[in-house]
Amino acid sequence: MTLSQSEFSFVSTLVRKEASIVLAPGKEYLVEARLIPVARAVGAANVNEFLAELQRRPNLDYQRKIIDALTTNETSWFRDREPFAALTDVILPELIKSRAATRKVRFWSGASSSGQEAYSLAITLQEALPPGWSYEIVGTDISTEMVKRAETAEYSQVEVNRGLPAAQLVQYFERAGAHWRVTSHLRKNVSFKLMNLTAPLPAMQPFDVVFMRNVLIYFDVATKRTVLQNVAKLLRPDGWLFLGAAETTIGIDDNYERVAAGRTSAYRVRTGVPAGAPRRG
Amino acid sequence: MSVEVEVNENDLAEMVEQVWESYLDPEGINPLIPTYDENQPSEVHSSVSITGSWTGHIVYASSTQAARRAAAAFLAMEADEVSQEDLTDVLGELANIVGGNVKAMLPPGAFLSLPQVVLAPESTARFPNTQRISGVYGIWDGEPVSISMWHSRADNNQEVGA
Amino acid sequence: MRAMVIDDSRAMRMILKRIVTKLNFDAVEAGDGQEALNLLADMTEVPDLALIDWNMPNMNGLEFVTNVRADPRLREMTLVMVTTESEQSQIVRALAAGAHEYVIKPFTEGAMIEKLALLGLVPTGANS
Repeated sequence: MTLSQSEFSFVSTLVRKEASIVLAPGKEYLVEARLIPVARAVGAANVNEFLAELQRRPNLDYQRKIIDALTTNETSWFRDREPFAALTDVILPELIKSRAATRKVRFWSGASSSGQEAYSLAITLQEALPPGWSYEIVGTDISTEMVKRAETAEYSQVEVNRGLPAAQLVQYFERAGAHWRVTSHLRKNVSFKLMNLTAPLPAMQPFDVVFMRNVLIYFDVATKRTVLQNVAKLLRPDGWLFLGAAETTIGIDDNYERVAAGRTSAYRVRTGVPAGAPRRG
Repeated sequence: MSVEVEVNENDLAEMVEQVWESYLDPEGINPLIPTYDENQPSEVHSSVSITGSWTGHIVYASSTQAARRAAAAFLAMEADEVSQEDLTDVLGELANIVGGNVKAMLPPGAFLSLPQVVLAPESTARFPNTQRISGVYGIWDGEPVSISMWHSRADNNQEVGA
Repeated sequence: MRAMVIDDSRAMRMILKRIVTKLNFDAVEAGDGQEALNLLADMTEVPDLALIDWNMPNMNGLEFVTNVRADPRLREMTLVMVTTESEQSQIVRALAAGAHEYVIKPFTEGAMIEKLALLGLVPTGANS
């Protein structure tokens, strides 16, 4: 083990601060194993020198390489399944009626990370919408690397093993070297943007459905409120908001009410409350 | 035929890492630590051959102890309980898994042989007219382990790359 | 529930057996497709699930799937390929032959359990 305790601490702090990665004790060997190729790639003699150099002089590129090397993607496709089932069983049938004039739906995947949620939504819509309908999915994330990664739409073999039915793998992905890439046919309806959810949001056309899952948990209550208010401004009055399984607007933003959506719940702006109204709760 | 192929060292490293993540180090506490030492010794090795649209071999090599540990991980037993048959089975399967993933990256029409396992150092292996094109060399639990990819040249008038 | 694990590698059979046992399946093993068919012929209760390698001696996994799907008695078996064959065309072939799902080796335990959950074979609360 060539990594000292203080070097491990330095790396842990860096990745926790910059990428919310938590390195549990016991992962010292894994960190070393992952950083050896990084050190080599930048021409450092070894990991110790690489980290010493980084501690001497901040280096965004080195930082990014470290974060990249230590990011394990635990996300699966169609995460938690029930929200996606709710789309197919309840929400899309409703939208198909209510949007019959335009035959178009717009979805937002907030904190889209590597893009798996956005592409999972795309697959769901591709399969559930009738012919003649179109859809647009916008994924946003605060990280430039994540936006780039999501746009590249390439996933490793172990990543595509997780929660993605094989029939959909062969239909919506093609092999790209050791990886699998989302086909252009699906990618063309999905775009990604850099965005900070806690800052005033850029003007965007409103969305029919927003997935903001496991994002709010990282914020304090005041920030949660800000984000939910921001979302309300971009949600169609009869639109739907999906949060993570353990999250709720209750006690945070009374402008939303929780409603049943298939076997799970979603949130809708209370009727009679215009978007952007002063918050209560 | 060019020695270059569509499987580079990063691809191989990624495949090897996925084998560790899946079977040999699921907790992420005992990874293969890269040494880049092509000359590290071995005591046992296994290989699969690829033929058809591409010709070559994938070779796993390690110390006996590392091989026992790998078998122990697969079979959920202690390293010293591993029989020779178990060892042979696991080493063959490791070469098979990496070989299969490499094959999927080659032009269509590549075939994988059944694995061969030899309880002798990799240096004793005789693969005529082959050139190593990439390899992952590392230490696992203090023991040397490597997975390398070898390309067979069609004939001796082969134009040799850099 | 009963599962059949079909792979010519004993080590791989052990890995798969461990996973399905965790999910409360009773596991039966076979080393190739022919051995698996022979075992099935003698069983009164057909297994709910088969995890099937592709490349095996005597009868490979694709042939096994084709045989099973042609047999009305084995209609209720869920067939999952578990293999290193990972070309798009191979996956398409297996699904076309009647496999219900496909897992590429190497797979993590979590990924395998998720695939089985997709097929409704995981008792609720058993997900790790």
